[in-house]
Amino acid sequence: MTIHTEIGQSADGKPPLLEVRNLHMQFPIRRGIFRRTVGFVNAVNDVSFTIRPGETLSLVGESGCGKTTTGRCIVRVYKPTAGQILYAVEEQESIDLAKLDNQALRPFRREIRMIFQDPFSSLNPRLPILQIVGESLKVNRIASGSELEDRVASLLKRVGLRPEYIRRYPHAFSGGERQRIGIARALALNPRLIVADEAVSALDVSVQAQILNLLQDLQEELNLTYLFIAHDLSVVEHISHRVAVMYVGKIVELANTEQLFANPLHPYTEALLSAVPKPDPRLRNKGSRIRLEGEVADPSNPPSGCYFHPRCPYAQDRCQHEEPAVRDMGNDHWVACHFAEELDLRGFESIGAATDV
Amino acid sequence: MQPTHTRLDHFDGARTTDNAPLLEVKDVKTHFFTDEGIVKAVDGVNLSLKRGQTLCVVGESGCGKSVTARSILRIVPPPGKIVSGEIIFRQRNGESIDLVGMNPKGREIRNIRGGEISMIFQEPMSSLSPVHTIGSQIMEAILLHLPVSKQEARKRAISMLDLVGIPRPSEQLEAYSFELSGGMRQRAMIAIALACEPQLLIADEPTTALDVTTQANILDLIRELQQDSGMSVLFITHDLGVVAEIADEVVVMYLGRDVESGEVDAIFHDPKHPYTRALLQSIPRYDSRENKRLYSIKGTVPHPFDRPTGCPFHPRCDDFIAGQCNNIDPHRHSVSQSHSVRCLLYAPAETHNP
Repeated sequence: MTIHTEIGQSADGKPPLLEVRNLHMQFPIRRGIFRRTVGFVNAVNDVSFTIRPGETLSLVGESGCGKTTTGRCIVRVYKPTAGQILYAVEEQESIDLAKLDNQALRPFRREIRMIFQDPFSSLNPRLPILQIVGESLKVNRIASGSELEDRVASLLKRVGLRPEYIRRYPHAFSGGERQRIGIARALALNPRLIVADEAVSALDVSVQAQILNLLQDLQEELNLTYLFIAHDLSVVEHISHRVAVMYVGKIVELANTEQLFANPLHPYTEALLSAVPKPDPRLRNKGSRIRLEGEVADPSNPPSGCYFHPRCPYAQDRCQHEEPAVRDMGNDHWVACHFAEELDLRGFESIGAATDV
Repeated sequence: MQPTHTRLDHFDGARTTDNAPLLEVKDVKTHFFTDEGIVKAVDGVNLSLKRGQTLCVVGESGCGKSVTARSILRIVPPPGKIVSGEIIFRQRNGESIDLVGMNPKGREIRNIRGGEISMIFQEPMSSLSPVHTIGSQIMEAILLHLPVSKQEARKRAISMLDLVGIPRPSEQLEAYSFELSGGMRQRAMIAIALACEPQLLIADEPTTALDVTTQANILDLIRELQQDSGMSVLFITHDLGVVAEIADEVVVMYLGRDVESGEVDAIFHDPKHPYTRALLQSIPRYDSRENKRLYSIKGTVPHPFDRPTGCPFHPRCDDFIAGQCNNIDPHRHSVSQSHSVRCLLYAPAETHNP
């Protein structure tokens, strides 16, 4: 499928910061005492998208859809089975991160950083904040001694923590403060791209709001680019410029946030949007909801044709046999559905219109 | 998914229909006596749940909502203890009893647990036994509480699985919990909880670990089962979207206190307590796109060992009145018949001067 390579390329001709082309990630299923490989889980299956400089691109989907694996391939925790991850380097041709070995990756590991979901397990409880945040500065021989302390202190200040906390250990901090520490750690090497994997999912709403505001402030100040992996659609709607919806290892729809929420073109996106509980009791039972039947398909044994067809309320014969390609529907809107033109799908607003509030 | 509604008729005749609340929690305090000091996890909670209604207890982590639920069932883990208050529960036979007075290991409370009051938990994986089949776990509950034979219990277990929408129920009876998906596990948990037709179902964040699509299905299921059986549901959650979707009445908790309680519409459209208002403002909403910053409550939930004096919310409150809020512990003040709030802003004038 050649058209995949252009997905989501920016209209204004600005080169993307990162371009993922036909990315595949397979995990072997091993059985028996000899650990023979009996099959593969296609966690990421021919995924292509681009990330533009300065934007927030969100990957959404149900658990097991491959959004986290995609993120981990980009930071190269995993080595992808196939495909390219083209990273733009200044005044050079872009470099394919998928092919590099650990040694060659080192300079890029400074520029692409990650924030994790669980602020409790992602910080080493035996290290003080100085070491947690400062380790990458030390390893890369950027700072040491009192200069290191100064840099860590200013990083803490930037994420809204008191610099005096530098010698404390993670247990002394609340969930939200720990997530700030995780963000400070990611910022230490002046990254260009931050992969935030469910960075606010474990937080309470009031803390979540603080962290979302912080991420947005930092993006403006430091011109950061985010790949935001999340399952909470109201958070995604708030923070992202563009959204990619994944289902069983594939991107089924990619569009600007306003477009995707107001005018989804894929039935799966419509169903996801309609399942989000609206924080207003007056919208209860208003509009029609779509309830998906059955379970998410097994990525080691996906259905034929369109992977979504067994659960799709609009499925027709063609969907069983023919896999839909990702198509450009114009206006920067990409979708993988045979009937995208014909279906009249409802967006977030018409599913439960907030007109009376 | 439309479960076939096999009415279970065991207790139908005994259902009383008067208006007295099914459950009343009055000023309950549950404290944990740790080596470092006393953690006042629940420090004066009041709630009242009518028959057939859904009461949502909402609050952030550490506000005591789960400990409240566990206090009702008397399964507070040591070193926790209910130190004062009353939990009045109306039994099927019409008698009211105080659950606080019971021996947590006694036979009386064990008859209530699983029989009259059931509970489902957030993590179905860790609350289901991995070494027993789903069927044997449902049958255990049935055989414990109902005078039926093993065959009858098995039949009933199959009809329960059918009721909660598990496909091929007689086959799935032999399944182990790890063979089911997250949504199906939660359905199995609900089947176990409802096997003896409880009057009250306590659901502690039952959909938090699930995907939105699965969550929507489980919420529909709970609602349907409730309409069918007339049970009451005490629903504990931190997700205001879920509250708006399912609640009849809402209790908002902060640091072990009920800070505001009322009907769901009043809580969302006429919130009184500054904490409730702040919570509602901090959720990202579809129409909030223009002003891109979210409202956020300043500071963080204080550590349980240094509870603020006076109103526990005062250090984070925008409407803080110096000299008042940090000294006076506010009572519950009614703002309407069904709406009460613990905040000095709504106190009658004379209580303003200590």
